[in-house]
Amino acid sequence: MFGGREVTRGTLVYAFQRLVLITFTAVIVSSIVFIGVHQLPGNAFASEHRATAGTEAALLHHYHLDLPWPQQYVLWLEGLAHGDLGESLVNLGTQITPLLLREVKVSLTLGLAAVLVTIGVGMSLGVLAAIRQNTWIDYTASTAAVIGYSVPSFVWAFLLILLTVSGFYAWTGGAIYEDIGWGKIEQIPVPALALGLPYAAIVARLTRASMLEVIRQDYVRTAWAKGLTARVVILRHALRNALIPVATILGPLVTGIITGSVVIEYLFGIPGLGQEFVTSILSRDYNVVIGVFTFYAALIGLANLTVDLLYPVLDPRIRY
Amino acid sequence: MATVVPSALEVSEELQVVLGDELPEQVTLWQDAWRRLTRNRMAVIGMVIIGFFLVVALLSFVWTPYETWRQGLGPTYQGPTLKHPLGLDDFGRDILSRVMGGAGIALSVGVGASLVASAIGIVLGLLAGFYRGKIDVAISLLINVSYGVPDLLIALILVVLIGRGIQNIILAISVTAWLGMARLVRGQTLALREREFVEAARSIGTKNLKILSRHILPNALGPIVVQATYLVPAAIIFEAFLSLLGLGVPPPAPSWGRMAVEGYKAIQIAPHIVLVPCIALSLTVLAFNWVGDGLRDAIDPRMRR
Repeated sequence: MFGGREVTRGTLVYAFQRLVLITFTAVIVSSIVFIGVHQLPGNAFASEHRATAGTEAALLHHYHLDLPWPQQYVLWLEGLAHGDLGESLVNLGTQITPLLLREVKVSLTLGLAAVLVTIGVGMSLGVLAAIRQNTWIDYTASTAAVIGYSVPSFVWAFLLILLTVSGFYAWTGGAIYEDIGWGKIEQIPVPALALGLPYAAIVARLTRASMLEVIRQDYVRTAWAKGLTARVVILRHALRNALIPVATILGPLVTGIITGSVVIEYLFGIPGLGQEFVTSILSRDYNVVIGVFTFYAALIGLANLTVDLLYPVLDPRIRY
Repeated sequence: MATVVPSALEVSEELQVVLGDELPEQVTLWQDAWRRLTRNRMAVIGMVIIGFFLVVALLSFVWTPYETWRQGLGPTYQGPTLKHPLGLDDFGRDILSRVMGGAGIALSVGVGASLVASAIGIVLGLLAGFYRGKIDVAISLLINVSYGVPDLLIALILVVLIGRGIQNIILAISVTAWLGMARLVRGQTLALREREFVEAARSIGTKNLKILSRHILPNALGPIVVQATYLVPAAIIFEAFLSLLGLGVPPPAPSWGRMAVEGYKAIQIAPHIVLVPCIALSLTVLAFNWVGDGLRDAIDPRMRR
């Protein structure tokens, strides 16, 4: 639909610079968390009175917690350079990097599904409202957009759970039911909808506004005049250009979906990064907390980079 | 006198006398904005809803039908009855009383965080935009690095570190909420500092502090008020997120997010426990968004829809 555009050298250089910046941000962020966390009094073992003085000393030594923090920080940086985020303080022997790599796949699957919901529902509503401007379709879609945006993801989650878990189960006599959890394909849509719907409302509003501007332009009138079908005019000519302003909110949207996924993963018992963060912070497993921060900083950076690399595809006038 | 053709000057003077009473009344920007706001139906409905929750919140500080923490008032999970119009929760507590108390918490956190975050954002934004140079580089770096981390994670870690009192929650939310405001104010200041009236003020020797407070800030106030309004519902949702994850205002305080998650396990047998706080929260957020949209259109008519 968007046609092939060769990757220029400028794009590659730009992407490389951004990757360096993302690495820099991730290291800065995790360093701040590392140093902050190591200023706290006490440690993860102090509260669990099981350990004798001897074992506690051995544990502290095992995690290098008996060293002064600048030395620990250097050790940690060395590990980070090799992609090693250390070992969990609570679950002895659990390496953090493979654990988080496994969980990030889960979070990414959920996040991508939510982005699909956002863009699919949002753009359809927006286009529909724009081409039927000032009809009941427009008013319904526009009202739905404001309400949709004001209902936070967890409320959508509760409503969808009520509908699927109680509603469908009762109405179909148990034939259809929603299994809360993760692992099966059919468990993805409900949390993805809950996560994506609030942002779909924002996308719908933006799409409507920018479509209204575009469909009044001369080249769209020309497209109608030369007898193209409505589908081609709306999708190829109008929507493609209306997408450019919409693309600007994709960055904040991705950050918002990542934030929302912390709550949604917790409610649906999905074993992703967000769930891990909540568990580790409550059990004061600071090594994992620092690891999750590092992962999230990299994730947000990469997501924003992807969005920025999409701009030249949508608008060939933009070049890096 | 009647035969003399009056000069242009005389006509205008006469006209002024004649039309004196009918000259358009002088209105300030804010009076004009208020007039437009009150003509916007959605904004008025939003203000009424906010007013209602505000009254409920204030009332909840001195009186609720039952104490919000009192357990065993009747059968647990009981639906709405005459005695308990919104039913009872899993501990047999009165949901109406708890929703009222929740309004107090939500609005305190929402308005409090919006004020604190706005204050930080305005000061840092003004400094970065006005002085530019090293100050701007430092503040902008801080903003850009902070945008690289989900704000919820920062708030969660802060709450664990500093505790879960209502002031600490406000602080934990404000620590990230100021970013957007600072970016907005910085942009406004960068544009305003090049304008002629600022140049004129500087040329007569006005001190920097006075230029900032008398010339730049008042001209940036419109977008600031709109942004501060949108910050309230964002902070309310944020507090609910913290409560859902078990790190909000500590129980038995009746935070809406906490009430919802406590009812979650019984959602099939007693959906009212989840639905009541969810509806209250969504309605409040919706009302603030309507007022925010209305304010935006009223203050800057060019941005209308």
